Amino acid sequence: MSTKVTIHRLCTGVPGLDAILGGGLPEFSFNLITGPPGSGKTTLAHQIMFALATREKPALFFTVLGEPPLKMLRYQQQFSFFDFDKLNESIRFVNLSDDVTTGNLNNVLARITQEVEAFSPALVFVDSFRSIIQEAALQTEGTSSLQLFIQQLGMQLSGWQTTSFLIGEFLSESGSHPILTVADGLLSLEQSVERNSMVRKMQLMKMRGQAILPGMHTFRISGDGIEIFPAARVRGDTGEEPLTIGPLRSKKRLTMGVARLDEMLGGGLPAGYSLLVAGPSGSGKTILATAFLAEGVRQGEPGVIVAFEQTPSQSWVRTLDDMIRAGQIGLINSRSPDLSIDEIVQHLTDLIQQMKATRVVIDSLSGFELAVAPTFREDFRESLFRMFAVLSGLGVTVLMTSELEDRYIDLRFSPYGAAFLTDAIIVQRYIEVESSLQRVMAVVKVRASSHNTEIRRYEITDDGIVIGDPVSDFEGILGGQPTRTKGYRMVKRGTS
Amino acid sequence: MTLAHRAGSAHDATAAAEATISTWRQMAGLCTPVIGARGVDVIFRRSMYLTGKTFPWLASGEEQGGSAALLASLKVSLTGRDADDAAAAGYTLLATFLELLATLIGESLTERLVSPVWAPSEQETVS
Repeated sequence: MSTKVTIHRLCTGVPGLDAILGGGLPEFSFNLITGPPGSGKTTLAHQIMFALATREKPALFFTVLGEPPLKMLRYQQQFSFFDFDKLNESIRFVNLSDDVTTGNLNNVLARITQEVEAFSPALVFVDSFRSIIQEAALQTEGTSSLQLFIQQLGMQLSGWQTTSFLIGEFLSESGSHPILTVADGLLSLEQSVERNSMVRKMQLMKMRGQAILPGMHTFRISGDGIEIFPAARVRGDTGEEPLTIGPLRSKKRLTMGVARLDEMLGGGLPAGYSLLVAGPSGSGKTILATAFLAEGVRQGEPGVIVAFEQTPSQSWVRTLDDMIRAGQIGLINSRSPDLSIDEIVQHLTDLIQQMKATRVVIDSLSGFELAVAPTFREDFRESLFRMFAVLSGLGVTVLMTSELEDRYIDLRFSPYGAAFLTDAIIVQRYIEVESSLQRVMAVVKVRASSHNTEIRRYEITDDGIVIGDPVSDFEGILGGQPTRTKGYRMVKRGTS
Repeated sequence: MTLAHRAGSAHDATAAAEATISTWRQMAGLCTPVIGARGVDVIFRRSMYLTGKTFPWLASGEEQGGSAALLASLKVSLTGRDADDAAAAGYTLLATFLELLATLIGESLTERLVSPVWAPSEQETVS
């Protein structure tokens, strides 16, 4: 047992990358970072380098023709991770362009060998490798010598006990490049532009000996460098310690903060449930959500709201603003055009953990869909499903609102098919009664719980939602054109 | 170490020229591995051009030929002047090179790069 080799995993210093790698970067691995120009390859490499390089474990960064080193240094030092104190002693840059232009791969290998032996680095980066390949292809016939070169380099770099990275655009032309079979790890970056959004994605296509997180992971480049948002997944399935915030589907029920609504839900909303509030514009969904959060604050249960809709300054909105300012409610209010659901989930998870929140409001799913970049809209439903799984794993109770089209020929709860994903549904409608609009709501579903099925009138006042009596004097309400119930008085007497 | 130190007590143009060129060689030697021979060459030619505005007798940086030819013509220009002129032009040339490099990669990085050869100016006045 103990004679097995232990692979040390290095923390890359790139937020989210270690999670994708399945716990960190294997020491002495030979990795490729590929992607088209501008996809963030050099930035990723530098960020890893500055995080890992120390005086004892220095890094050597070879620059080849691709990006002029002057420009690279000029732009890379803008990032906060670019630590001048590490230069020279922990990090050294070496330019290989003069050796590469000769086209003799043996010279290049000899030069790399010489530098590596002189500096004995723990980390080696070669950026960009494509230049070497192109120059070599111009000078030599066939790929056999190139393949040999790559294999030799790979072998040597591992033999020198270095963790190494080759950076380049390998995949654009042919998928079966010899280099791909030699590498231990393969990290592919890409950027996609749709309409006026640009989304960066990263995929770990290979990492020997690691349980990696498959799929495309979105990332963002800011002044602090790269931040990756691993595709949302259910916590606890990767061996990580499960999060124990909030009662995980306990018998507890949460009060909604609207009189008589708890009674309609059969005694409040079960903790850990997700509730969809669907209704037409102006039906009071946001007010209901605010009441839910305010009630949480009263009960000492912090909340988080993900707001995608501009709200006018009205009394209940001021309540929400006050709670946010007082730090009782966390706010996520993102309006960038290239948002991914995973990014929101990451921020939401962080905020929930930070605030120890048990109540979460997403207002609204309609705004959410508009806010995510067009590339993600196709997978919106699937991503929502994963988001619910993550939130459910966190044990929080979620209330989300959804715009419901005013249709009087069929009954719909949500255009996304989000209804089946949620545990409870409240639907709100307008009805026409005696030439005026009235609002009604009903609890359509509370999973594994009995609940009131009455349709009730309600009003929106300055104090919030006031729920009235069941509408038993009309029928055909959901069709929008109710008619007075025949023999209403008799029926009422009979049922009561 | 400063140019004056390198030139020593022998106050003549040849010593100033040799000090300039040997300092330049060391600076280039430190910069080339990082920014490449081409990067060094481009900035050096630009420095020659800029210094030539103050010292019109200096060989122009736009001159054709390799860097060896450029250095040779620089040496000829410097030795052809009196000691003070040669030292001033040599100093200006090297300072201009560092200034240009600093505008591209920042002062902090430039200082780190050439510190073994070129002490920061405040130390120079002290020594």
